[in-house]
Amino acid sequence: MASTERLANQRWRTPSRLAVWAMLAVIGVFFVVPIVWLLLKPFDVGQTFTWLGNSVLYSGAGVLVAVVLGIPAGYGIATTEFVGRRPLLIGTMIAMLIPSNALALPLFLGANAFHLLDSPLAVILPYGLFPFGVYIAYLFYDTPRVHVLLAAARVDGCTEWQAFRRVVLPLSAPIIGLIVVLDFIASWTNYFLPWVMYGVFDTSGRYPLSLGIAQQLMPGSTSGDFYQNIQLQLAMPPSAEALLLLLSAAPVILVLLVAQRWIVSGRLQGVFN
Amino acid sequence: MIRSGSHSVGQTGRTGRTRPVGARRRSRAGYLFVGGYVVLLVLVGIAPAGYALELAFTSVGGRFTGFTNFINTYHDFRFLPAFEHIAEFMAIWLTALVVIVIGVSLVIHTLSPRVSATFRFLFYLPAAFAGSAGVLVWLFMLQPGLSPWDVVLRALGYRTLGASLIPSNLPIVFALIAFWTGAGAWILVIHGALTNIPRDVLEAAEMDGAGPLQTALRVKLPLIKKWVMYMLIVSFAGGTQLFAEPELFSQATHGILVSNAWSPNQLATSLAFLSDNFNYAAAISIDLLVIALVCAGLLVFRTRLLRED
Repeated sequence: MASTERLANQRWRTPSRLAVWAMLAVIGVFFVVPIVWLLLKPFDVGQTFTWLGNSVLYSGAGVLVAVVLGIPAGYGIATTEFVGRRPLLIGTMIAMLIPSNALALPLFLGANAFHLLDSPLAVILPYGLFPFGVYIAYLFYDTPRVHVLLAAARVDGCTEWQAFRRVVLPLSAPIIGLIVVLDFIASWTNYFLPWVMYGVFDTSGRYPLSLGIAQQLMPGSTSGDFYQNIQLQLAMPPSAEALLLLLSAAPVILVLLVAQRWIVSGRLQGVFN
Repeated sequence: MIRSGSHSVGQTGRTGRTRPVGARRRSRAGYLFVGGYVVLLVLVGIAPAGYALELAFTSVGGRFTGFTNFINTYHDFRFLPAFEHIAEFMAIWLTALVVIVIGVSLVIHTLSPRVSATFRFLFYLPAAFAGSAGVLVWLFMLQPGLSPWDVVLRALGYRTLGASLIPSNLPIVFALIAFWTGAGAWILVIHGALTNIPRDVLEAAEMDGAGPLQTALRVKLPLIKKWVMYMLIVSFAGGTQLFAEPELFSQATHGILVSNAWSPNQLATSLAFLSDNFNYAAAISIDLLVIALVCAGLLVFRTRLLRED
C-alpha cells in the first residue's frame, strides 16, 4: 500500500486553498450570474435556478452523509475488531461494485411504499450511501502508520473516540477529499434515480439540474412524423441550451480542477491495491 | 482469499468472554464507528432490494406466485429485444474500451509526466457531462447542420437527425456517448496500474533490448491484465443498466426513433409507470440486480484484485 501511504504523507495545505477557491467562487458568481441571467432571461430563469438549487441540495447533503458515515465506518473496519466485521467488509465490496442504477427502481418501490416520493430524502439518502468511499477509507486507515499512531494514542490513555477525533481525523483530509470528489460527481450527474423518484414531469418542483436540462427534450423537441424526417427542435436556441449544459457541467469541472492532485495525478491507483 | 481476517474474527467470537477489557472496549467502539453506515446500507441498499425481491415473487394482491412474474416478463415481446439491444451496445462499447483505453494508456505512459497528466485530464473532462448532459451534447453532435461533425455526417449521407439515429445506428451512438463520458476514468485507472509496475522490471526489459512497442505488449500488458478484467466486468455490469441515453432519445422523438423500452431498465420503468405493474417491474430489476451481483461476486471472490485484510 505504498501509494496510500504517500497519500497520507502528503502535506495538507488545503484549508487555505479552499479559502482561496471559495473566495474566487463567490466573486465568480457575482460576475457571472447577471450574464447567465441575461442569456437565460427569455427561458424561464426561475426554473433553472430551482434545478440548480435542488442539485446543490441533493449532492451536497448526499456527500455530507457519505463522509460523516463513511469515514468512521472505513476507520472502524480498519482498526477495530468486532463480530461481523469481515462480512461487512465483503458486503461493502460487493455493494460498491453494484451499479447505482441497479437499485434505482427498488428504491422507488420502497419510497413509494413509505410515501417518500416527494421528499428530498428520496435521493439524498441513496447518494449518502457510498460503499466505495467506505472501502477506500478502509484501505487508507489500514496502514502500519495509522496502526502505530493508534497504539501510541491508546497507551497514552486516549479513548477510541479521542484517538479517532484527535489523532487520526487530522490526517484524513486526502481521503475525505477523494470521497467528496467521487461521490459529488456521481450524484451530480445521476439521472435515473431522481427520474424515478420525481416523475416524468417536474410537477413537484424537485427536479435537479440533470433532469431539468433534459426537459428540453420533452415531446416537441423534435419535429417530423416518419423517423427519416425527424429534426431537432428545441424550445431554446442551441446557444442558450449549450449554456445550460455548461452550467450543469461547471461544478464538476471546478471540482475536477481543484481535485486534480488526487484524481488526475494517478492517485486513484492507491485506491486499488 | 480467506486469510487472516476471517481467522481473527473467528477467534474473537470464540474467546469473547475472556477477551481483555481493552479488546472489548475496542469491539464496542467498532460498532459505534460502523453503526451509521450499516443502518444506511440496510435502509437504502438491502431493504429496497429485499422489497423488490418480495414484489417480484408476489402478485398485485400480495399472493406468492413463484416465478410467474419472471416468466411473464420474459414472454413480453419487448423483453428479448431489450437484452439484444444491450448486447449489441456492449459488444461495441467493451471492444472500444479494451482497444482504445489500453492503447491510449500504454501510449501516454511513455510520455513525460506533465504531458501525460494533461492528456489524462482532457480525456477525463467529459465525465462532467455524464448522464443527461452528455445525451444532449450528442443530440447536437448528431443533428446535421448544427453539429461540428457536419462534414462527417454528410459524408455518411445523413441529412436529418432521424437519419443519424436509424435503429441500426443506436448501439453505436450509445456506445459513443458512454465512451465519451466514461473512458477517461478507465484511462486513469489503467494508467495508475501501469505506474505501479516496478521500475526494475521495465529497466530489465530495456536491457534485454526490448523497444517501446515490445515493452508495451510483452511486459506491460500482461502485468495489467487483471485491471483490464476489472474494467470489463464493471463496465459489463454498468452497461446492462443503460437508461438515460435511450430514454432521452425516446422522449425527444415521441418514441418514434427509439422505443420507450429499448433497454431492460426502460422496459422495467415502462411496466411500472405506464402499465402500473410494480411486480413485473420488480422482476426485471431483480434480473438486472442478479447480473450485477454475479459480476460483483466474480470480482470479489474469483479475482485477487481487491484487498481485504
